[in-house]
Amino acid sequence: MSAEEFSAATEAIVANIEQVIEGKTATVRLALAVLLAEGHLLIEDVPGVGKTKLAKALARSIDCSVRRIQFTPDLLPSDVTGVNVYNQENHDFEFKPGAVFANLVVGDEINRASPKTQSALLECMEERQVTVDGVTYPLQTPFMVIATQNPIEMEGTYPLPEAQRDRFTARIAMGYPDAKAELAMLDVHSSQDPLDVLTAVSDAATVRRMIATVRDVHVSDAVKQYAITLVTATRESPDLRLGASPRASLQLLRTAKAIAALEGRDYVLPDDLQALAVPVMAHRIIPTADAQLARRTTDAIVADMVHRLPIPTDRRSGTQPYERRR
Amino acid sequence: MNNRRNLGFIAGAATIMSAVPLAGIFQHWTWMVQSIFAVGLITATATGVRALRGRVATQGLAMFLVLFLTLTLLFSNGHSLLGFIPTPETVAYFGRLLGDAGTQIRDNGVPVEDLSGLLFLTVFGIGVVGILTDLFTVGLRRPALSGLPMLAIYAVPVAVFPDSVSIFPFMIGAVGYLWLLVADNTDRVRRFGRRFTGDGRDVDAWESSPLTSAGRRLAVVGVLAAVVLPVMVPTFSTSVFDSFGGEGNGPNRGGNGKGGPATVNLFADLAGRLNQTSVQDLVKVTTTEGDPYYLKFGVADELTSSGFKTRTPSGQAIGSADLPDPNQRPSFGVSREKYTAQVQIGKNFDMPMLPVYAEPVSTQKIGSDWAYDPNMGIVFSLRSRSGGRSYQFDYVRSIYTPDELNSSPELSADNALRRQYTQVPLVVEVNKLVEDLTKNAKTPYEKVRALYDYFSTRNGFRYSLSTVEGTSGQKIVDFLHNKTGFCEQYAAALAWMVRTAGIPARVAFGFTRGSNVRTENGQNVYQLTNRNLHAWTEVYFEGFGWVPFDATPSTYVAGSVASDWAPDVNRPTAAPSVSPGSVVPGGGGDDVNPRGDNNHDPNAGLDANGQPITPAPVWPWYLLGGVVLVIVVLSLPMLLRRRLRRRRSRQVKASQAADLGEVVGAVPDQPGVMVIVSDSGADRARELAHEAWDELLDTLIDFRVPADAAETPRTAVRRLIEQQELPAEAATGARQLAMAEERARYARTPLDPEPLSGSLRAIRRYLISTSEWRVRVYAVLMPPSVTARWRLAFLDGVSGTAVKLSRMRVWLSRFNPRRVFSRG
Repeated sequence: MSAEEFSAATEAIVANIEQVIEGKTATVRLALAVLLAEGHLLIEDVPGVGKTKLAKALARSIDCSVRRIQFTPDLLPSDVTGVNVYNQENHDFEFKPGAVFANLVVGDEINRASPKTQSALLECMEERQVTVDGVTYPLQTPFMVIATQNPIEMEGTYPLPEAQRDRFTARIAMGYPDAKAELAMLDVHSSQDPLDVLTAVSDAATVRRMIATVRDVHVSDAVKQYAITLVTATRESPDLRLGASPRASLQLLRTAKAIAALEGRDYVLPDDLQALAVPVMAHRIIPTADAQLARRTTDAIVADMVHRLPIPTDRRSGTQPYERRR
Repeated sequence: MNNRRNLGFIAGAATIMSAVPLAGIFQHWTWMVQSIFAVGLITATATGVRALRGRVATQGLAMFLVLFLTLTLLFSNGHSLLGFIPTPETVAYFGRLLGDAGTQIRDNGVPVEDLSGLLFLTVFGIGVVGILTDLFTVGLRRPALSGLPMLAIYAVPVAVFPDSVSIFPFMIGAVGYLWLLVADNTDRVRRFGRRFTGDGRDVDAWESSPLTSAGRRLAVVGVLAAVVLPVMVPTFSTSVFDSFGGEGNGPNRGGNGKGGPATVNLFADLAGRLNQTSVQDLVKVTTTEGDPYYLKFGVADELTSSGFKTRTPSGQAIGSADLPDPNQRPSFGVSREKYTAQVQIGKNFDMPMLPVYAEPVSTQKIGSDWAYDPNMGIVFSLRSRSGGRSYQFDYVRSIYTPDELNSSPELSADNALRRQYTQVPLVVEVNKLVEDLTKNAKTPYEKVRALYDYFSTRNGFRYSLSTVEGTSGQKIVDFLHNKTGFCEQYAAALAWMVRTAGIPARVAFGFTRGSNVRTENGQNVYQLTNRNLHAWTEVYFEGFGWVPFDATPSTYVAGSVASDWAPDVNRPTAAPSVSPGSVVPGGGGDDVNPRGDNNHDPNAGLDANGQPITPAPVWPWYLLGGVVLVIVVLSLPMLLRRRLRRRRSRQVKASQAADLGEVVGAVPDQPGVMVIVSDSGADRARELAHEAWDELLDTLIDFRVPADAAETPRTAVRRLIEQQELPAEAATGARQLAMAEERARYARTPLDPEPLSGSLRAIRRYLISTSEWRVRVYAVLMPPSVTARWRLAFLDGVSGTAVKLSRMRVWLSRFNPRRVFSRG
């Protein structure tokens, strides 16, 4: 896929989503980047800022199979993965695919389900397959889980376990729209939900080709080194009890590739990693008790690291007499 | 603030106290009055500037300015405006004064009169010490450092007095220094705030702490030990034990106690006195003669294998009869003139001989215990010594011409004089050399001249006092081989060689002409110092008597005199020829080296005309060299930075797209940006982009725009554009640089570096135009990019060393016996 084609396709998707979500270009692009990086997205924010809308808009913009799961405390794992049902006609068990058998799976309020049900997603998200009663069923490509969760409301929720969180490539916050965007939203949404008239501007095949393009983006050794530096720093930070996993560095680079491609580049910059460090790493790490007491959020810890760590180049280092910025 | 003011005054007082040791140098106390005046003004200035809250640098500048004004007021001597405002003329005059001071230091022994040059130097020096003391004590709060400039003052009397220095002035200086330290520490302790006692009662600032008395006692014991111990220990030159033991080392090293002239080793005495670092006035002579030759007091005419020795002179007592008058001898055309001379001998010249001009015919005021040896031509005594005497004598000066001397016949081999004065130990090398040199000479004078002319700098002869004295056969060979020595070796070698040629010769000792102090009533007064002590050769010519020849290179002998018959062989125009009549160009009598007392100074030379030149003072050259060195060191960062910038911009500019391979416009939204595709060209383009980027960062650092290692090129440039509000052109250039750099670092294909040079220029131009003047000056003269790199390199080195050392310590601690044994 040529750069022009890629650019046109991505711009179309972004523009399409922006009909629904006003003034959140960066978030929308990040969501798209996660799709192109073959990752999964966790949208975490207070109620009513458009988490579900974003998920649905992204799903609608691409002409592919979309399933939605409303996570509730009584949801069972088999509702997610599927279940073997006895077929009386042929006297055999027959597999009834669950909700994950789609290109895009929108999991709403994922933290309302019990850990048992949440864990049903572990295999599908990482290995893109479902194993039920010893039989493994592959999932479709592209496959992406877009989950939303509400961090404020703690009653009756089950926080995602670390293993589950680590499987999400990025966690993004929607944030409140600015006044102008909110005004525009009032205008548009008062008469009719634009989501209803949203049409697909792309299809699964195009997305697969776009994913292939993203895979081809060049990552120089210096940038790889930088990714490792960032991840290592989280493991060595005195503020953190748990650092980022190797999966984190892999997904950081993958997403960075997607971001670079979205910006029309065929190479990754440290800037991409810097922009992604918080969304990709902050939800995977656990601060120490001290840091928590000091009200240091993981976002702040990661952002601080990004500001602190030197950028590796492929040249001999230390040629410039750098001093700390005052 | 009040305490600080006190401290300033104490610093001034300590400076003055530390200058007390200089008192021994001057006869009067003028220097002290002037120094107190200067230091007082300096202290007052410093206090004033501090009251106005001036910085340390401002204080220093103000103090230097006031010192300059004070010096102008005290010394400008009309070379200034309104008496105290310096003009360029003042500076030039001060330079002359300093030059004078250098001469005066050489020419005068201690104690000296109030010579303006020396006074200027002293007040200037004490003023500078005062400024430094004030800065160290009050400005930098490091009073201990002010000991260093004070030490510089102490070094002066120690260097000037050759024998011993009284310790009492030094104690005054030490007390001043201690006072300074104590005052500073008291002040420092008081700054800690008010002290409290356990019961909550706060203590008055002046109430001493419980430890004070113990501290005070310790201090007293320490000072006592430091002061008293050196006095008691005999190694100190004014040690108590020494002064009980007798006279100590008196100045008359030559004559050991009483004894006849033969007991004096004139060679050793000469070498010893010439090697003295200080200048001692020995003899003052007043003569009616215009250009007197050397003043002679001793002769060494006995030559054995161990060298020339002084015989015991013999002669009749002076006063009992007239001395032989040369005028009674046949003249052979020699012009003879009679003169009168008065000699006043100082205490430091204590010999059993009296210096006289050749040849004395009558004497006055010389006691009857002195005798005259007509053969040697010296006045001697077996009982008395010369120290402190003054006397008068008439003498006849003979002026020979080469023609006349050339007519002197050779002495017959059985002549008694020849037998006595041509005895030479057999030294084959000398004989051979003499034979070579005199093979073309026919008359005795030609032979002597041939030998005399040999001792020329053209033949590699040099003057140096640092050679071993001695005139024995082996040493003569050494000297003729090394060609380095001083007067006694030249004199002995020439005498030896002349003797070898069969002509009577001996070594004479005395004084060169010395420096003419004044001329009054047709009488010339000459001051002779130990530096004027000299040895030369006397050669006997039949019919003429003993004729002096001074073979020592005249350039290095102050007051040396060349003559018609023995011209200065180092003068280029004086051909080493003995042909009669062609010896001395413009030979108008004697020719004196006009450098006065500046004796035995190897820094002198001859100018193109063969005229001895007055040596310019050397210190301006050192000063100039120092200034140049400082400028070079200070401008090093600037030069390095310029060179780096030139190199980078040349490289970037020189890159042509053609050299770098195929170029395509591959960036969709930036049509002007070209990308290098070929592999080899890509590497080169990458390097150039890096160079350009480094240059941008260096420029930013130079102009105090902070750079950060955690910033990517694009963030750095974005911040630069925002913070510095770069105009459109420079902003585009900056973005281009960032893009080139990030593509060079991270992309498959780098950018064409061609436009980068222009971008750099635009950014630099903009930064120059917008930054403060101070930043600009620093960026050019002392670029922070260079200095910071040095600083980082230094710190890296230091920390690296520290790490290595600690590792080594850890390693060594394995061998710590405690650890070793605790294992077992």
